[in-house]
Amino acid sequence: MLTSIFVGGLAIGCVYALIALGFSMIMRATSIIHFAQGEVMMIGSMSGLTAVWLAPFLPAPVVLLVGMTAGGLAAVAMELAAYRTLRRRGVPLMNIITATVGMSILCINGARLIWGSEPLRYPDLFGVEPVLLGGARVPPQLLWIAAAGLLLMAGLQLFLKHTRTGIAMQAVAQDPDAAQLMGVNLTRTMAATFGIAGMMAGAAGVMLGSLFFSFFEMGFITGLKAFVAATLGGLGSIVGAILGGLLFGLIETFSAVYVSSAYKDAVGMLLLILLLLFLPQGLVGLWRRGR
Amino acid sequence: MNASRRDWTIAFAGIGFAALLPFLAPDGFVMHLMTSVAIAAMLALGLQMLLGVSGQLSIGQAAFFGLGAYGAALMTKEAGLPFLLALPLAGVIGGIASLAMVPITRLRGPYLAVATLGFSIMVYLVLKNEEWATGGSYGLIGIPRPELFGFRLRDPMLWYWFCAAVAALTYVGMLLLQTSRFGRALHAVRQNEDAARASGLRVTLLKSQCFVISAVVSGMAGALFAHHLRYLNPNDFTFWKSIEILIMVVIGGVGSLAGAVLGAAVVVVLPELLRVVGDYRMLVFGAMLVAVMLVGEGGLAGIIGGLWRRAAALLRRPRPALRSAAE
Amino acid sequence: MSAASALLEAAGVTRRFGGLTAVDGVDLVLRPGSVHGLIGPNGAGKTTFLNLIAGVLPPNAGRFALAGAEITALRDHQRARLGIRRTFQNLKLFPEMTAIENVAIGMHADTRAGIFAALFRTPAQRREEAMIAERAAAALAFVGLSSQARTPAGTLAYGHRRLLEIARAIACAPRVVLLDEPAAGLNETEAAGLVELIARIRDSGTAVILVEHHMDVVMTVCDEVTVLNYGRRLAHGTPAEIQADPQVIEAYLGRDTAEPEAEAAAC
Repeated sequence: MLTSIFVGGLAIGCVYALIALGFSMIMRATSIIHFAQGEVMMIGSMSGLTAVWLAPFLPAPVVLLVGMTAGGLAAVAMELAAYRTLRRRGVPLMNIITATVGMSILCINGARLIWGSEPLRYPDLFGVEPVLLGGARVPPQLLWIAAAGLLLMAGLQLFLKHTRTGIAMQAVAQDPDAAQLMGVNLTRTMAATFGIAGMMAGAAGVMLGSLFFSFFEMGFITGLKAFVAATLGGLGSIVGAILGGLLFGLIETFSAVYVSSAYKDAVGMLLLILLLLFLPQGLVGLWRRGR
Repeated sequence: MNASRRDWTIAFAGIGFAALLPFLAPDGFVMHLMTSVAIAAMLALGLQMLLGVSGQLSIGQAAFFGLGAYGAALMTKEAGLPFLLALPLAGVIGGIASLAMVPITRLRGPYLAVATLGFSIMVYLVLKNEEWATGGSYGLIGIPRPELFGFRLRDPMLWYWFCAAVAALTYVGMLLLQTSRFGRALHAVRQNEDAARASGLRVTLLKSQCFVISAVVSGMAGALFAHHLRYLNPNDFTFWKSIEILIMVVIGGVGSLAGAVLGAAVVVVLPELLRVVGDYRMLVFGAMLVAVMLVGEGGLAGIIGGLWRRAAALLRRPRPALRSAAE
Repeated sequence: MSAASALLEAAGVTRRFGGLTAVDGVDLVLRPGSVHGLIGPNGAGKTTFLNLIAGVLPPNAGRFALAGAEITALRDHQRARLGIRRTFQNLKLFPEMTAIENVAIGMHADTRAGIFAALFRTPAQRREEAMIAERAAAALAFVGLSSQARTPAGTLAYGHRRLLEIARAIACAPRVVLLDEPAAGLNETEAAGLVELIARIRDSGTAVILVEHHMDVVMTVCDEVTVLNYGRRLAHGTPAEIQADPQVIEAYLGRDTAEPEAEAAAC
């Protein structure tokens, strides 16, 4: 029982963490709360599903890749079409944040027109035979999702530390002016930040879809929870977003079982508010303060 | 120190227009819509005070709105209290709920926003799950018609006037606050917190006072809302509502009271007007939201103010020409 | 010097940042009706010390007393309410407010009208607003900014912004005002005007602590000078004594000749 709850929490935590990563990366680079991040996830989910409809023989990793590509493209499109222009004009931050809300409304209603308003069932990408894990029968997709999620996050860390684009992204996040003086192309790096953030969200979309359903409004509440998770970890911190996401998924899953399924979201929110009061920098504040 | 003659002129022109509106369009649906605008305007004014004046971003205003609405509904429906008493009490409920959140006003920027979001999600869950009090997802039905001193406000026009008057009082109150010592201090806190502290301002106290005022106004708006529809459903108080209120303020222009009212009118009326495009309604709304952000940074108030200045400059232009001719 | 004659007294004040001791056991006595200069090379800890006096930072050790009353535990806005006001080295004004509104904020702590008074415009509130307007105008006139009263602070010329900060700090007739490099960026004429202004502030009954690099200003207007170096008090005395102190000359006044060598050595 405990094992399967844990794996379930870990899987949903990976979904949150992948979206939270995008929130954090974008927040760090631009100070924007990107409210359309959940919708990027939804677009990834819908695109993955469409790919499976068109070509049912596609293996799971390819579907994941399709979702990532769609999510990445959607986020880059938003950046190029609107946010970049807004930033260039030096518009107040509140206006840009409101524009991301507009983007989110646009995506939700666009998706409803394309894919309809019925929840759509994903085919079983990862098989159905339960896996025995420490005496517990665990659905295989949970294990696959947890594994793929952790792998993606590790890959992102490597990307940020060891590639030119990744290092440029880190530099821009810390000091855009200095980075530009050092010859970093700001426009391209910002687009890359949105692209990577979108890819992570797109992957989360395919995972979440295969766990439950895909539907046009799926990004709304999930995106919010991921934002809360990112704050839980400490906004702007990559490691914090991963920690916050995983923790939020586990808290939610455990409190659904042990507290009340109706109030499972409230436990996380209460924890968040208490944490903010006593540790305003989020979880990463813990060891920052320790130093 | 009263550079606000223009603000008062705008306020009274707006209030006059709102009072005369029923004669211009004596239609049931228009009255219903305009009553909704008045209620939305109160919500937007509440957030404007918070965001535009003291610089605090809340994306959980729906919580105080919802608590006020359910509180007032239960007071008139279950406890049989007169509506005129339930209205201020709903404000008190909003205010007390916000007191619980006062410690978070020392948080900054996005952290404050997330905390208010978390609070509003908790309130929503309570409204949805505590069926014994709120009716849960089925909603709360049978809220009595509002009554003033034994007189039932059955006529939509009278009810509209009442709501518009409450909104107008809120507007005037906020204008009075803004042009006072208290409002000056809030503006100072927004513009430079360090300097405010160095001048002896109790920044945390000022911010929390502002937070409570905004919650009181939202709670009272809730009471009006409950007795307007006479049916409440938790889905009216989700995070979307908070975002809608934020959109009103930003689209109208952060910092402008008149802008907040204008923004409220746009957010309530525009989707109705967009019914002509059918399924594309919200798609167009989203696109327009992005577009307004791209066009004017001061929101509608900024755009209109800019046009006004341009028109005034156009009217004034001949004068220097004449003077130079005379010289 | 006995503590009884001190308006503001700092005793053994220490502040550390990680491993660095920015201010190390500094004593300072500000006499009523005097201008006390605080000088030292860059990084000597002057601004940190000023922030400690203002209460922006808590000290790691040592104590502060204002007119004999302990104020060490009080935070910045509490000390401001007791009459310790300041200006900022890098100008912190309320840019969207007019000059006179900026000054009015300086008088906030001394006035009382609250939310209800504002909503109902009580007679007391009206009287108070009139008083604030009058005294704020007087403070602007005192620094010579009357003509700019209705100009938004953000659009004022640089020199005027410096004066506006001073007006805001002295509007409530505080006991002590801390001026953090008020002459920075001013030309010679403006600096001379500043000297005269500081003297008038002192004569109006407000004691001044002046952090400044501009030596002409310090030596002309100060009654006493404290020199900091590496966070410690290096010397203390009248301007004439300080100018004659060999230690000071070596550490600070002589740095013009010492510095190029140090830089060369660093390279």
